[in-house]
Amino acid sequence: MDQLLQALVSGLLLGGFYAVMVLGFSVIWGVMGVINLAHGEFLMIGAYLAWGLSRLFGLDPFASLALIVPLMFLVGYLLQIVLINRIVERPHLMTLLVTFGVSIALANLFKILFDADPRNVAVAYNGSLQLAGVTFPIVKTIIFGAALLIMVCLHLFLQRSRLGKSIRAAAQNKTAARIVGVDINRVYAITAGICIALTAAAGAMLSPTQAIFPFMGPPFTLKAVTITALGGLGRIPGALMGGMVLGITEIFVSTYVAGIGTNLGVATSFVLLVLILIVRPQGIMGGLRPLEPEAE
Amino acid sequence: MRHFLLQISLLLVVSLVLTSCSLAPPAPVDEPAPASADTDAEKIIYLGAAVSETGRFSREGKDTRQGYGLWLDWVNNEYGGIKVGDERYKVELIMYDDEGDPDTAARLVEKLINEDRVDFLLGPYSSFLTQSASAIAEKYGKIMIEGNGAAQPLFERGFQNLFAVLTPALNYTRSALQLLAEKGAETVVIAYEDTAFPTSVADGAQSWAAEYGLEVLGVETYPVNVADVSGIMSKFKELEPDIFVGGGHFNDAVLFIRAAKELDFNPKAMVITVGPSNPKLIEEVGADSEYVIGPTQWEASMSYADDYFGTAAEYAARYEKLWGEPPTYQAAESTATALALHIAIEQAASLDTDAVRTALRNLDVVTFYGPINFDEKGRNAGKPMGAIQIQNGEILVVAPTNAAVADLNYPAPPWKDR
Amino acid sequence: MATERNQKENEARVKRKPLISIPAPVDSLLAGWAGLALWLLLLLLLALYPYTGVSSVALFVGSQIFVLVTLASNWNLIGGMTGYVDFGHAVFFGIGAYIMGILVTGSPLLISPEWGFWQALPASGVAAALFALLIGLPTLRLKGPYFSIAMLGTLVAMREVARVLRPITGGGVGLNLPPLLNRLGDYYLMLAVMGLVVSIIWWIQRSEFGQSLIAIREDEIGAEMRGINTTLHKIVAFMIAAFFTGTVGGFWAWQNTYIDPDVVFVEARTVEMVMMSMLGGLGTVWGPPLGAVVIYFLQDLLWGSLFGVHLVALGVLLVVIVLFMPEGILGTLGDRSSTSLGRLLSRVGRSK
Repeated sequence: MDQLLQALVSGLLLGGFYAVMVLGFSVIWGVMGVINLAHGEFLMIGAYLAWGLSRLFGLDPFASLALIVPLMFLVGYLLQIVLINRIVERPHLMTLLVTFGVSIALANLFKILFDADPRNVAVAYNGSLQLAGVTFPIVKTIIFGAALLIMVCLHLFLQRSRLGKSIRAAAQNKTAARIVGVDINRVYAITAGICIALTAAAGAMLSPTQAIFPFMGPPFTLKAVTITALGGLGRIPGALMGGMVLGITEIFVSTYVAGIGTNLGVATSFVLLVLILIVRPQGIMGGLRPLEPEAE
Repeated sequence: MRHFLLQISLLLVVSLVLTSCSLAPPAPVDEPAPASADTDAEKIIYLGAAVSETGRFSREGKDTRQGYGLWLDWVNNEYGGIKVGDERYKVELIMYDDEGDPDTAARLVEKLINEDRVDFLLGPYSSFLTQSASAIAEKYGKIMIEGNGAAQPLFERGFQNLFAVLTPALNYTRSALQLLAEKGAETVVIAYEDTAFPTSVADGAQSWAAEYGLEVLGVETYPVNVADVSGIMSKFKELEPDIFVGGGHFNDAVLFIRAAKELDFNPKAMVITVGPSNPKLIEEVGADSEYVIGPTQWEASMSYADDYFGTAAEYAARYEKLWGEPPTYQAAESTATALALHIAIEQAASLDTDAVRTALRNLDVVTFYGPINFDEKGRNAGKPMGAIQIQNGEILVVAPTNAAVADLNYPAPPWKDR
Repeated sequence: MATERNQKENEARVKRKPLISIPAPVDSLLAGWAGLALWLLLLLLLALYPYTGVSSVALFVGSQIFVLVTLASNWNLIGGMTGYVDFGHAVFFGIGAYIMGILVTGSPLLISPEWGFWQALPASGVAAALFALLIGLPTLRLKGPYFSIAMLGTLVAMREVARVLRPITGGGVGLNLPPLLNRLGDYYLMLAVMGLVVSIIWWIQRSEFGQSLIAIREDEIGAEMRGINTTLHKIVAFMIAAFFTGTVGGFWAWQNTYIDPDVVFVEARTVEMVMMSMLGGLGTVWGPPLGAVVIYFLQDLLWGSLFGVHLVALGVLLVVIVLFMPEGILGTLGDRSSTSLGRLLSRVGRSK
């Protein structure tokens, strides 16, 4: 019973992180139709930034978000203007190949800059709390709280603010949005900025819980695809649901399968991905984007 | 249809041509040696190695290169060349970058053997690359002596030409488990990365646990580059073992210590196979690394010595002078690798492969790195593995007893009491 | 509307004058009998090459290049000609390698008496082709990027499966094959496989089967309406490509004498295949082989020495090719717009 409860809690905490990790990926895909295969690399950059700031200035990884988020917003904004806006109107596969190229280049660039050695960020409060016989790791609980907060903020931003409405309009129907006077390129650049910043923030928050190395990205990218396929494009509740499903599945598999549980846990999301894509290529819940965008 | 038949017959013709070519296969002609040793006034022994300069093993590859380089510098400039009978031979070492890629490593070893005509081969870094490289050496009957591949499968292939100076992976946890059993530990759990080297370590740990009367409560594997081991640790927490044995890569040590603290998992001793002997671990996890035990191939504080480099500490000083940084054990075992070959050549008094192979088989010396004595599989099975414990931020040797500088602290207090 | 505009853009780009243009007759000659004749001549020369007294290293390099050419051509069959951009093609390489490893060593379970190389090699190809049938039936129904991602997922999933099925595959420890190397034999074997694969692609391109594949790429629904059994065509093309990739994988396992999940199920191998095909010219017969040779020598001679920068360069090159040279070397030189990547992508992309 204790073990079951513990596994459930660990799964939920992991799921919360997955949900915030996937937001950037899912919104970019939902709004622009770009499948960003370099998603995991931006997560990696965020983690390296948190590591660097903690090494150089002793900055806490959560405090460093205040620097990382604006910086990475700028990076995302510029990247969109310089590279992605050139290809966003082009066919899907072209963006897939370009982001794939960006992913390889970034990972190997970081390998040259920082070696392949894993880096770690140490925080003093990495212990745990006992509550009703269940262990709550402090860092992971903070990440979970921050994840929920970020999701609520993003949800409110997309639903209530004028800019958020423009973004949703651009996602729903680009042509109509243009007609009513939405500057698509600017909206796209802002969206990319927000998404890249969110992704890097997720990476920074992750930094105290796992090793940071140049090739940590691709598994996250694939997990992001899995969660998006589970939860639907650009939908925040969907991301939360997908993240929880994946997190709980992974933890249950690794807890209840003896011997090779952790290996199987890693395999889970990839097997899930193939199954979901085969059964339902548009994701289980639909999403921001209409099912057949601009169908001919 | 006519076209189709024409095409098929053309394809048939092609395959016939190709088959006829392969029916009369000319033997590959190998180029002459780059420099004929006999015409030179100075006699030279050529050694070759493919070691990573770039790629995933670039850092350990650098240690390996520096370890070889130290011996090379010493043997040519200080020792005056290898004595073969009455003559002195200078040594030339040809090193290439294998980029951490098995295809490249295989090609370079082949090049070293057939184009550069080296006399003997030194090993690459990692069990992984040694797998491919040693197969080429074996095929051409060239001796490859290595100090950076300890995984058991390397030595299960019946190779006649592969020798390794480092303690085989099976023995990694032996002295630590023996010591802990003496201190009263009774139960053990094991977690390991499912690649060749950690698997051999874990297999060894299980058999040594049985030998010393420790009960194995659970065994778990995890994949390479694992991001989170809390699943394993929460399972182990339920089992309440005395000893936790774990490991694979350096970073797994960080993950294990962190997850244990996070989940309040309190084994009385944590034995982590790779990591604790590296000062970087203390840097990474700080005070949480206290009480952690780890096996070590070599430490500068060990009491071994030889007539060539002096004591282990003198070797370390010499290394630091040449390269500007203290030696890692990867560097020490690389130097020991070259030194073992050197001693075997002198004992054989010949450069003939068969004679040197016999000399290596019969080798029984103690070096700054420890005893070297190869068994029939080419492993240095006689060398005991050391064990260290992190005490007050220092890495101290606690086993074997004749090399120990401190007593083992056991049991470790639970996390909340630290 | 946007799609329309972007199609115009594509066409405008395609019509742009190439830097150097090969006169059209030469171009069509290469695609025809003259191309095959030249190819056979080249094969003959390559077959005679070992008689010139070269070292075994040169033979090894030769067989490595033949492997790359074969892989690039295989990928081109499904990715370039049929228009299904397969990001996980290395999965067939891995399956071939593992079948070879399991059969030759008997696997840890000792499931079979140990097979010889010559029995295991076709088995590697057949196993990969069967897997292609199994995975292709559901995934080839997916459109555009979904197919690419499903195949990428398949590759990573199979890597984990190989890790977990320890009693059969040796898990992460991998399998050690007997080290019986024969560089000369390897050279001729891979020369033969490469010769066969490229000749088959040449034949497919001229055959009705190939025309149907191109029709599927250009307009799948239209092709279906014209009575082409698209599923059958796609599956057959996929299986042919998988068969030879699996064969090459089996050969590689034998030659490397050691396999584990991380050396055979590796994304980088797919990236190489994609890069070579794209650099040379997608959907052409001679482009991918040319791209393979160019990339091999670039990597070996230039980038290998630049402190590992070559992988960064590879990524940047991919971006640059897609943005500025989507037709590949052959396309840029010869203006073969009918097979250009831009056109291909716009066709496939429509189904997003």
